[in-house]
Amino acid sequence: MNSVSASVLVNGRSVTIDGHGATTLLEFLRNSLGLTGTKEGCSEGECGACTVLIDGQPITSCLYPVLAAEGRHVETIEGVSEGSDLSPLQETLITAGGIQCGFCTPGFVMTLTALLRKQPNPTGEEVANALAGNLCRCTGYSQIVEAAISLSGVERKS
Amino acid sequence: MTLIGTSIARTDAVEKVRGQSIYGVDVGMLGMLHGCLLRSPVPSGTITRLDTTAAIAMPGVHAVCTSADQPNTRAGWVLCEQRLFATQRVRYEGEPIAVVVADSREEARAAVDAISLEIEEVPGVDLATAMVDNPSSSLVHPEWETYQPLAGPETDHPRYRNVAAQMSSEPDDVDAIFEEADLVVEDELVSNRQYQAYIEPKSAVAVFAEGRYTIHTASQYPFNVRDRVAQFLGIRPSSVRVIGHTIGGGFGGKLDAALEPITAFMAEKTGRPVRIANDRTEDLLTCPSRENAVVKIRTALDKDGTMVARELLCDMDNGAYSAESIWLASLPLHIAKGVYEVGPTRVISRLHYTNTAPTGAFRGVGGTYLYAAIERHMDSIANTLGIDRRQYRLDNLLSDGDTLLNGQVLDNASTLGKAFERLEEILPWDETNGSKGPYQGLGLGGCVWLTNPMPGQATVKVNEDGAITVITSANDNGSGAVTMGITQIVAEEFSVNPEDVHVTSPDTDVTGYDAGSQGSRTTHIVGRAALDASLKVKEQLFEVAAGMLEASPADMDLVNGEIGVVGAPQSRISLSEVAAAATWTTGPIVAAASYTTPPVDFNPACASGLLFPTMPTPSYHAHMAAVEVDPITGQIEVQRYVVVQDVGRAINPTGIRGQIQGAVAQGIGHTLYESLQIENCRYLERTLENYRLPLAVDIPTVEFILLEEADPEGPYGAKGVAEPPIALVSAVIANAVSDAIGAPVTRIPITPEDVLEALSN
Repeated sequence: MNSVSASVLVNGRSVTIDGHGATTLLEFLRNSLGLTGTKEGCSEGECGACTVLIDGQPITSCLYPVLAAEGRHVETIEGVSEGSDLSPLQETLITAGGIQCGFCTPGFVMTLTALLRKQPNPTGEEVANALAGNLCRCTGYSQIVEAAISLSGVERKS
Repeated sequence: MTLIGTSIARTDAVEKVRGQSIYGVDVGMLGMLHGCLLRSPVPSGTITRLDTTAAIAMPGVHAVCTSADQPNTRAGWVLCEQRLFATQRVRYEGEPIAVVVADSREEARAAVDAISLEIEEVPGVDLATAMVDNPSSSLVHPEWETYQPLAGPETDHPRYRNVAAQMSSEPDDVDAIFEEADLVVEDELVSNRQYQAYIEPKSAVAVFAEGRYTIHTASQYPFNVRDRVAQFLGIRPSSVRVIGHTIGGGFGGKLDAALEPITAFMAEKTGRPVRIANDRTEDLLTCPSRENAVVKIRTALDKDGTMVARELLCDMDNGAYSAESIWLASLPLHIAKGVYEVGPTRVISRLHYTNTAPTGAFRGVGGTYLYAAIERHMDSIANTLGIDRRQYRLDNLLSDGDTLLNGQVLDNASTLGKAFERLEEILPWDETNGSKGPYQGLGLGGCVWLTNPMPGQATVKVNEDGAITVITSANDNGSGAVTMGITQIVAEEFSVNPEDVHVTSPDTDVTGYDAGSQGSRTTHIVGRAALDASLKVKEQLFEVAAGMLEASPADMDLVNGEIGVVGAPQSRISLSEVAAAATWTTGPIVAAASYTTPPVDFNPACASGLLFPTMPTPSYHAHMAAVEVDPITGQIEVQRYVVVQDVGRAINPTGIRGQIQGAVAQGIGHTLYESLQIENCRYLERTLENYRLPLAVDIPTVEFILLEEADPEGPYGAKGVAEPPIALVSAVIANAVSDAIGAPVTRIPITPEDVLEALSN
């Protein structure tokens, strides 16, 4: 397959795409950029561990061709917190007990980050519905849902 | 005490929420090669052709190995049956037949596709076939008699033909009591296979140098991996070093070795670091899932409705090879009476070889469906007698000093009564039962569960800056047992902040033996070892501080990270000063301790084949569920779920809540959604697309009450908390659904089709 040259914005930084047509965004992030916070759980778009944001929309990066991200803005778990400060969502996930093994956590953070930008005061039902594409096997979900709804009224950057 | 009973954040929370933790799948090395397995595409057959010539010639390929290359060994957790690669026969779909190691995973995969494989398929043995056992049955292992137990031939247990293990307990008088009974009630429960479905698929990286193998893996039980690799390769365990990395979930599925033996073998063959990783379907097809089983139960009743004798027959699917299931085949004996007085009880438990993937431990092991069978049966008896289901349970509940069928005395069984009583605070039985609408149902049940007793070890050192390091192979599979439990216990002992306590990752070269993150043992066992080591370290600190302060060590205390004479606040010195002084005078301050639960008394004559003889550190539990079924779709909604759990002592309430909520979610999955259905010895569900895991919308917020009935041996009284909350979920939901539809539930999972069929009758 022919390599092509294109660029993509990853967490605000412009990088050159070195993949060929079959390379997924997940492979590019993990193997080429070393951004291993995004996880591979199933490679079929079911578990949501590989969720990243493209122009603010959550997508499963295991199915997304990296070339399709050309010219777009990709946000990963590494870009969520600013410097040493965790985002309010990350803080509440910790205090609510929303993290156990943590393998699914980056995907949950990305999905919920997108939701909270769009809907800063979601109901529990809205949060649970938004999480239809994220599997967590450890927590039983309630703590994660509580973390997201506890942010109602918290000022956050968009 | 200040930290015990408080919800500190887990010490790995920040790195996990930032995506910085290094999981097994994140481990890589310079010069690393990638392996890919050729796995059997059929469940049963004979290999008639296996030609790797074309594969070896493929680009990037370094080595291809098959059974022709393997050491002449057999490996196994209890019984040594397994080889590295299928040899002539294949016994389950997914069994490794060959491995290719290449520069990249893609090249390895392409070369696997180039291997020429022909298998003459023969009909496989499934559980239904295996249960019809007779001398002419076709055998999964025709050579079964040649297999040796790992611990030596004198430890062999009852087994024959397709039965890998049989445990029988047959009191003399059971038949006579059944003959004279006024009433006999019978039930049956069929439970399907459940996949652990941790989100991180299995992987391993191995390096070979100087005659030793170093393995990087995210195992729940690194020492078990060490031992299994040694068995498969025919070497001594100390020639293997296993280094544990962050685990992306395990739930029992990562207790035994999986990819590690072949990965280690190929690191030696190629002289390079080798990585092998499962894709999701490989992982699902080969994971030691919770076994499918059939439980038949009947109870004899006298004219007063008193249970006077019982019989329980349990047939479990072992899959093609046995792991620890041979031990677990003893479990039906401990659970057969549930938590009730039932009279003499016959129990026969059989573990059958089949041509399916080897089964194994999944949180709660067989307890989930055994308690479901027993608590369904209790409802069935109460309904037959026309007695309120809760009242009938209370009338027959075990109390202090009652025994299990093995003769083990339960000193604190009256905790069960307290647990049932406390359920009332959240969901009062009579009131809730009386106000149910149509298609609503209520279920309850009780259980006793154990804390895994196996050994652990911890070394505690005080660094010169006053921070504490705990060196142990105890590992945190996500439960918080290390990052909350052990950390909190040690921080409490030294009166320091939890951030000043660091616990190492598992390393079998560095620490004493640890029996892994299983059976809720880590906080109880390793917490105790860490506590004991901390006490030894404090003695050393007091000795040194006494010299510095010209006082007696007996008069010292340690408060807020400072050591001094009790009641003399003006002359206190910090932990770091004492540790630094010690380092340059008497030497570094460090101490180690080991712990394992002392053996529990029982009656060895109670059964034959009883390899797992007791329920150590018993804890007591009662659950209740309220459900509503949709009469149009058959969908079941769990509206309320209530847990009363005996935890001994709550070290971290948020951590315990996580275990309860998470276990109930897995239990709901087991009861309502998840199922590896077996057809012609193959799974119908092969990806996470059709293996239906519970989602956020499916799981209610579990309500719970903790009972703190301290265990005298546990650290601060703590008992295991992670496993018990799954044991009753199928039981109480099945009872609630049965109540809602007015018909018995006999299959797990309970599908909408089952509900609609029951409603149409």
